Amino acid sequence: MKLLERLAKIDRRIIFLLVGLAAIIPLLIPIGLPVDITKPVQNVYDTIESLPEGSIVVVSVDYDPGSEAELYPATLAFIEHCFRRNLRVYMMGLWPAGIALGNDAFAEIAPKYNKEYGVDYINIGYKPGGPVMLLTLGRSVADIVNADYAGTPIDSFPLGRAVKTARDMSVVMTFSAGDPGILHWIIYFNARFGNVICGSTTAISAPRQYQYLASGQLIGLLGGLKGAAEYETLVDRKDRAIAGMDSQSIVHVLLVIFIIIGNIILLSERRKK
Amino acid sequence: MKRTIPLIIVFGCGIFMLISFFIPLRWVQDTSQLLQTWYLGVIAFFVFIGIANIVRVNVNKIQRKLADWQYSIILLVFLFVMIGAGIFGGPEGGLFNYLFHNFQIPLSATMFSLLAFFVASAAFRAFRARNPEATLLLIAAVLVMVGRVPVGYWIWHGFPDLVEWLMQVPNTAAKRGIILGIDLGLISMALRVLLGIERSYMGGKD
Amino acid sequence: MLLILILMAQGINVEAFDTPNDDGSSITIRWIPDTQYEFFQILRSLDPDEGFEPLAQLPGDYAEFIDRGLQSGQQYYYLVKAVQKEQETSSEIIGPVLPKAQIFDAGRANILVTIIILFAAILFYIAIARRGEKLYIRKIPALTAMEEAIGRATEMGKPVLYVPGIMDIDDPQTIASMSILSKVAEKTAEYGTPLYVPTSKAMAMTMAQQVVKEAAMKVGRPDWFNADNIRYLTDDQFGYVSAVDGIMMREKPATNFYLGTFYAESLILAETGHATGAIQVAGTAMPDQLPFFVAACDFTLLGEELYAASAYLSQEPVQLGSLKGQDLGKLLIILIIIIGVASRVFGLPFLYNLLNVQQ
Repeated sequence: MKLLERLAKIDRRIIFLLVGLAAIIPLLIPIGLPVDITKPVQNVYDTIESLPEGSIVVVSVDYDPGSEAELYPATLAFIEHCFRRNLRVYMMGLWPAGIALGNDAFAEIAPKYNKEYGVDYINIGYKPGGPVMLLTLGRSVADIVNADYAGTPIDSFPLGRAVKTARDMSVVMTFSAGDPGILHWIIYFNARFGNVICGSTTAISAPRQYQYLASGQLIGLLGGLKGAAEYETLVDRKDRAIAGMDSQSIVHVLLVIFIIIGNIILLSERRKK
Repeated sequence: MKRTIPLIIVFGCGIFMLISFFIPLRWVQDTSQLLQTWYLGVIAFFVFIGIANIVRVNVNKIQRKLADWQYSIILLVFLFVMIGAGIFGGPEGGLFNYLFHNFQIPLSATMFSLLAFFVASAAFRAFRARNPEATLLLIAAVLVMVGRVPVGYWIWHGFPDLVEWLMQVPNTAAKRGIILGIDLGLISMALRVLLGIERSYMGGKD
Repeated sequence: MLLILILMAQGINVEAFDTPNDDGSSITIRWIPDTQYEFFQILRSLDPDEGFEPLAQLPGDYAEFIDRGLQSGQQYYYLVKAVQKEQETSSEIIGPVLPKAQIFDAGRANILVTIIILFAAILFYIAIARRGEKLYIRKIPALTAMEEAIGRATEMGKPVLYVPGIMDIDDPQTIASMSILSKVAEKTAEYGTPLYVPTSKAMAMTMAQQVVKEAAMKVGRPDWFNADNIRYLTDDQFGYVSAVDGIMMREKPATNFYLGTFYAESLILAETGHATGAIQVAGTAMPDQLPFFVAACDFTLLGEELYAASAYLSQEPVQLGSLKGQDLGKLLIILIIIIGVASRVFGLPFLYNLLNVQQ
């Protein structure tokens, strides 16, 4: 009982320390837990697999460094999949900080597949304006885009010239940490122009997207680091998301242990009364 | 007059934007887009207002040597270094890129990672079976936490499917109910604002 | 006038017509898909004698193409070719087809009817309230606790912290938050309690300053207002939350209000506030963040309660009337859901189509 009383008043810094250790130790000593594939992630993979070579995939990097840990591994795995399938990647962002992260992803993956900027992939940069911008982009890309992220005229790139309206975009994949993000693409692109929308989002936001999966407005979804790990497994890319799964598993188990201890304390307090 | 003109503008623009959803005519859609573009222009201007506010408040703090005034110097130095690096070096410039990748990204990621620790302390404190509803919340939380990571699949192969069902059926149903309620509340508030019944967001007398 | 021409030619059944419910800038071409063909090629001309230009190439399982960016009232002609390996089968020339603008998007008529009914319900109860009838609104604990929470801060000689969310004033939750801020500012000005309002957007800061200043003047305390207490921090999400956490740790407010749009930072704010011993009242219409606020705060406004708060706090009959109208709207939605589910379960496509929104 004294132990329970001590646990009831435990300094939260001890809880933080235990969580920190639970996160770090599996990164240093991997366990190798198997990653199962869920249907929403499989749908994204199958959608990309079904596209003919040369199709244009819009990748919208709608997150900032705060969500990099969950969404950047998914971005890397997805772009690798696109390049492996010889699809063309047309990158943009509804968040300003996402563009640099998108460029980092290209820098890491493009050389591996000998992809050429402006031909196989392009980054048109941050586009503000949310709904207005998306509606205009779908009707006429030229009204929104006149240069890439670095200011080079867009018509000087073959891929820049190839995208004129929403019709030229086979799939839109948005990596979204909030607003504007998945919902904007669904409302202003899928609803207005009929484009196929896939998404990747943080674990906190993933439950909210399930209703769009159910209605078919969202074809597939990568939820959190687990979703990224599933996609890495599908594209056979063993990277940080898979590596993080052991860590996440142990932390979740620790949280469950904390919840159980908390309820044991509650029961013992009730018994005392 | 001070409140009447803004109310007329709110009513006029609000009703026009509402009607434009139902009228596909080109001039109506173009006007709707123009209004939204004007809003973007106003937002862009307000960036300068925000910067001016930061500078004013922190310069005042330094001049009057208020508590922790030294940090205001650091803030202002970094503010102008970042602005200068972006303007003169461009977004791909060396200094801007260095500061972004070595300061901004790690700092943002660090703040986000605090959530892991705070979820643990909140779970320990709040997830207790005080009543039937809290018990239901607790059971659902435990199932989803275990089922959404590989350890759930390792314990029982059917765990992820159970969690997927929880997410796609009860969770989606509850979210839809909440969102429907929210949207109705939004419609009610929007109508009050449009008609000028709700004015407290403008300040002053209702 | 809708012009539909259907031609049968060598197995390609094609029709072309003015796209309904648009601005007169598109024509829809439809054909029967056939996967024996590799692709369908769609060609267009303004004058068939002068040749056709290719518009699009679509796989054999596609059945429709919408030609956009056209001029209303101009005549267009179309040709569809089905290609299999090196063999080509062509339809006859279809046309002339004229795209025309429609004044009303009939595909959204059901939305218009729903909005009119909802508005009518709200206006009905507002009219009843204006007549002086008393309307029952249930107690919302979080709103009842607001005054006590501010009183607690006054007694302890500590400030009140009000966080209006991280989105700008185009977000309805921010508008709702500003309305509540007005009421909170009146109370804190009356009691002489400092009020800190850190904002993440410059426009929200300007609005908050105006709201707080006017509140101070309304209660006859213009001297209480300090513009430096309502300031812009940063647009960056986690920069903002770390700055607000810093304010909490340094100033140790006795009462924290989190009312508006929040994302991942909600739990960081709530847990830091809890660590400082503050009483916390939260409210957001972000369903993902509600569980965190419910777990970590003392009182939480759930979703629509945030939008109702201003009406509830003012206790003005006309505003309360709008809340009753909203509830009637909810009954209507429940009825529509039941009809929709029944139409699918019992196979009544007429009802389902009535409720469906056309694109």
